[in-house]
Amino acid sequence: DSHVQYERVGADVTMKCGSMDWDAAVTWTANGTDIDESHLNGSYLILKNVDLTQSGQYSCYEGSSWHLKYQTYLSVGTPPKEPALMCRSNNYPKGFYCSWHLPTPTYIPNFFNISVIHGTREIVCEKDVFPKNRCHIRYLQLFSTVKYKVTLTVTNALGKNSTTVTFDEFAIVKPDPPESVVAKPVPNNPRRLEVSWQNPSSWPDPESFPLKFFLRYRPLILDQWQHVELSDGTSHTITDAYAGKEYIIQVAAKDNDIGTWSDWSVAVHATPWTEEPKHLTTEAQVTETTSASTSSFMPPPTTKICDKGAVVGSGAVAVCWTAGLVLAAYGVLFI
Amino acid sequence: MAAADSPSAALRRHDLCSRGIRLAGKMRSDVVDLLDTYVERQGLDASASVAVVEGVPAAAVERWDEQTGTQRLLENLAAYRAFRALLAQMLEEQREQLGEADAALGRALAAVLLQVSAFAYHLEELLRLESRGPPSEEGAGPPPAPHLGLFERKLRGLGVLRELAQWAVRSARDLRQLAKPSPGSSSAPGPAESP
Repeated sequence: DSHVQYERVGADVTMKCGSMDWDAAVTWTANGTDIDESHLNGSYLILKNVDLTQSGQYSCYEGSSWHLKYQTYLSVGTPPKEPALMCRSNNYPKGFYCSWHLPTPTYIPNFFNISVIHGTREIVCEKDVFPKNRCHIRYLQLFSTVKYKVTLTVTNALGKNSTTVTFDEFAIVKPDPPESVVAKPVPNNPRRLEVSWQNPSSWPDPESFPLKFFLRYRPLILDQWQHVELSDGTSHTITDAYAGKEYIIQVAAKDNDIGTWSDWSVAVHATPWTEEPKHLTTEAQVTETTSASTSSFMPPPTTKICDKGAVVGSGAVAVCWTAGLVLAAYGVLFI
Repeated sequence: MAAADSPSAALRRHDLCSRGIRLAGKMRSDVVDLLDTYVERQGLDASASVAVVEGVPAAAVERWDEQTGTQRLLENLAAYRAFRALLAQMLEEQREQLGEADAALGRALAAVLLQVSAFAYHLEELLRLESRGPPSEEGAGPPPAPHLGLFERKLRGLGVLRELAQWAVRSARDLRQLAKPSPGSSSAPGPAESP
């Protein structure tokens, strides 16, 4: 017959060869390899102070006939330590989820059972298909002062352990980070960066349950963050950026009234707009008093100062054209 | 309900809801501060659990998302009228118990009582706009005089303030639901808004 035998790390294990007498001649194998007779006491196999490497298939054969008389899979492991359990609502007011894990592996199969009590009522926590160590609950009541009590029990063949967390409805509300964070330079503004983002897609009703946001930013060359808290809207213009420096920017979200801040969003990088440097040849030729052919003098193209892609008003466009005409006039003077 | 649906009525409703949301937010903030002061002055443990207190309107609600606008307003109004009476009672007890020794707690209680009264009035205005009109206050008198010892009264006060803090959050949510554009303020939210 064949079965699984669970033993604790460090235990002494004795295996009988099925119904064979103690004095019968037998051979034991571990994963197909013969076991030395020094580990035998008669027909019994003795394994002292077992460790994880000794897990495997153990078989016992009758001495002369080599008939298989007994087989077992030895699985060495540990009883479960107290599990870590956390519950969180990232989709308030729909519900919340609880997730758990063991601080150290047991090396053998574990079974988890979770119970959720709200006042006198027990609520079913529906296990998620993925990840496996998670379950979710739909709120049956909102705005309750009665605390939730969640108990997780983990059991395996060598023991059991449990942990309990107690919390109220508001305390576990923590949105997911904002999504699609984008940071762009503002044309013709060397100290501005425009940042925009979206509500996390897991937050079901931002209209009735609005989020507020926390934005942090710093130039890559510095360690200190600047912070801005924003009570509405999903965009912000940074107006005190250092010119020409690359910035790192992140955003976090929180329900306007309850709960805690989300983790920071994925970081985005941006550098404020900078003016293109003027051509050195142009400046040298403007200051020369010797004559020069027109072909050697090229007024700087106005597109370098006035980016086509820039959102400009009619006033700014007029300035660009005027600059081009003035520079062209200088060129003519010095031919 | 034609008056309730006119553009000016819709604008007035939106304005009242926006102001109500701000009122509720301020009220909650002040109630949370008052809770800290109350716990400290009354020598209580902040984490003490308080059993359901008779006469204190519970903010907890099932199927909140399915409530009509009128239901929300009526439940809110009933609650804040009850809190108005409860807080007045607490203020009286606090003065009897501590006299002038704890003016700060008394002032904080009085300030919250004022906000609760203002919010109740605000809700009455919203109900008038629904062409419904607020219900009379008959039967919403002060709760029965408690035959409680000093410690029980302190715990009851803790229960009152905690529940009021929950209501302030709920009220802001209720008013945001009300402020959403809908065919009629008395109609339940559409399927898209259900969880």
